[in-house]
Amino acid sequence: MSSVPRRPHGALVAVSLSVLLSTATAAAQDLPPPSPDAGVPASDAPTAEPDAGPASDLPAGLTPEEMAEIEKAFGGNTQQGVPASTSAAPDATPGGGLPLSIPGATSGTNFLDMSFILDMAAAAFTSKEPLQRGAHDPSRNGFNLQQLELSIGSVVDPYFRFDANIVYSQFGVEIEEAYGTTLALPASLQVRAGQFLTRFGRLNATHPHAWDFVDQPFAMSRVFGGEGNRGLGVELSWLTPLPWYVEVTGSLTDATGEATARSFLSSSGDRVLSPLDLQATGVVKQFFPLSDDLSFMWGLSGATGPNPTGYRNRTDIFGTDLYLRYRPITEASNTLVSLQVEALYRRRQVPGDVLTDFNSYAQLAWRFSQRWATAARYELGTAAKGEDGQVAVDPLDPEWTKSRDRVSVNLTFWPTEFSRLRFQAARDNARWRDQADYSAFLALELVTGAHGAHAF
Amino acid sequence: MRSLRFVAALCAALCVLAAAPALAALNVVTTLPDLAALTKAVGGDLVKVQSMALGTQDPHRVDAKPSLALALRNADLLVCVGLDLEVGWLPNLQTGSRNPRIQQGSPGFLNASQFVRLLEVPPTKVDRSEGDVHPGGNPHYLYDPRQGAAVARGIAERLAQLDSKNAATYRANAAKLTADLDAARVEWEKRLAGLKGAPVVAFHRTTAYLADWLGFDPIAFLEPKPGIPPNPSHVAGVLVLARQRKARMVLIESYYNDREAKMLANMIPAPLVILHGGTDFRAGETYLQHINEMVGNLEKGLNAGKGG
Repeated sequence: MSSVPRRPHGALVAVSLSVLLSTATAAAQDLPPPSPDAGVPASDAPTAEPDAGPASDLPAGLTPEEMAEIEKAFGGNTQQGVPASTSAAPDATPGGGLPLSIPGATSGTNFLDMSFILDMAAAAFTSKEPLQRGAHDPSRNGFNLQQLELSIGSVVDPYFRFDANIVYSQFGVEIEEAYGTTLALPASLQVRAGQFLTRFGRLNATHPHAWDFVDQPFAMSRVFGGEGNRGLGVELSWLTPLPWYVEVTGSLTDATGEATARSFLSSSGDRVLSPLDLQATGVVKQFFPLSDDLSFMWGLSGATGPNPTGYRNRTDIFGTDLYLRYRPITEASNTLVSLQVEALYRRRQVPGDVLTDFNSYAQLAWRFSQRWATAARYELGTAAKGEDGQVAVDPLDPEWTKSRDRVSVNLTFWPTEFSRLRFQAARDNARWRDQADYSAFLALELVTGAHGAHAF
Repeated sequence: MRSLRFVAALCAALCVLAAAPALAALNVVTTLPDLAALTKAVGGDLVKVQSMALGTQDPHRVDAKPSLALALRNADLLVCVGLDLEVGWLPNLQTGSRNPRIQQGSPGFLNASQFVRLLEVPPTKVDRSEGDVHPGGNPHYLYDPRQGAAVARGIAERLAQLDSKNAATYRANAAKLTADLDAARVEWEKRLAGLKGAPVVAFHRTTAYLADWLGFDPIAFLEPKPGIPPNPSHVAGVLVLARQRKARMVLIESYYNDREAKMLANMIPAPLVILHGGTDFRAGETYLQHINEMVGNLEKGLNAGKGG
């Protein structure tokens, strides 16, 4: 929105929005599909629409006027989307005990789903100073504790669910994520609040358990920091009513943290004086089920926030992510092939110049049996260039004067869904160094506790 | 302010889309096609039913595709098997659907396992050294038409609660389905009388309810433990036992790779019987037809065993 909206248009938007909201609230009345007076324009006649509000028709024997009166008694607050409670007593269970009598018998009956995930790796590097910057990357010769993650999830009440990921290292504890998610907002809206990984791109919001590689692509640690882009803040997302999956997400998060907002305020300790001192992120995700076996997901992301190099200097990051997944489901098969590509373009205002650089990775993973998979990944990061097109000194990575690419291949073995062994080898070619570095990892992951739900 | 005009146009377009009236009275989404077929039998034209998984998919391992969250967004009722069968993929979709009506604890969420006489509920504390166990009991109850009928009646009650105007219709349909299944069962049981007490080898522990109904004796499983793929030494042990006990057939669901099962069946020798993992709801198959086909396959296996 521009700062000076011209009145008619502003009004038009307001009207459109209010109509949209009223359409959503009209669902409270949820009349049966209009039959006699079908000539009324859709926006006037409250119609049953599939998007919000309780689905049941008006309680038997209640007219819309009576319903309106009830709503008026509540000050017009129709409390859209408040989940109805199961008014009836639990159904009688023919020949069955109540599942509630068995703790954990059905998903979600215990109050807290908890799981611990242990990731450790033995590593060997040819370089004395490996360029591993990810917080969970193996980064030195010998044994590395990548993380011990405690993942906690639970429904709070009919309105919120709670999720947290607490990570223990050998020397401390950190709150990686702890946030609430709304469950009952109207109009397909959802809010997350707390400390969370932003939804920028595809990999950022995920944890090592969901990765196809032992370490994270350097694009992430270079642009966002070793922990990935996260912060305290709030996020609003909307599942649009379009016929295909389009999810629009916007978030406002704290722009500080060397490992979480590296291209923004990082560890400069600048004070927040206005919303402009926060990181704003916008994401559009679209999903296309091309066939039973083939799925395609495409995301566009943008993030903007202040950087500490001077008054009102800003950093903008634009990204796109593509995910193509082939998994036959119309016949017995363990095959899974996925192609994942992310590209990030970064633009930073620094005193007297604007620096731009480009970082990306592409990975192909092939699960060829129930227990085995192999994957390959190529990564590329360019040196930062100034407005004149020449390589400039990068205040965050002064040594990064030439491009860097890295190739990794791995082989994964899952004894069961709850344990994983992964061997990975990589050639890291940072052109500002005399020679390419080689590395090899053998990583082990163990998962115990509640069976987590997998995101797509 | 072109952008404003665009935003206004977009809002207007979305209003029109959002105001489109729902086609069917109730929009039901089920996790598995068997549940979809039962719901359709009970709801008839009063419900629009969609299954998230296909019968050819392993119900333990379904991808949580965002398009499924889209289906859930408009659902009035979500029916699932429960007993942790869908634990790896359903919860995220429920949250992602942003639909308060189908969250746990809402009348629009129905866990069908509450209507079933559960089997294999572990009497003692279990952990995953036993494999991927279901601590609430065996979730593969829809292979037994008696449990299927009970679930159908449960679905009818919930539909009646959500759409009280048509309550009588739902209950009548459920009663009719129960009667049809009971009538068919008499004939099915007659055809499969030879299975009573017959030793049978299966791939996964999906046979609990089927064995309970038909009275065969599952003597061994190709999976050493649930979710753990067969290995040579275990299969060798199963083969020895199957020959010793004169196993009548080898059972496997269509969504598992049948390489080891085929080999074992050849070596025993015993017929290999493939059970369809679910109703082909998309092609219009009914639950009764699905069970009937399963009975036909079992019968073929039984007769082949006699001849062989």
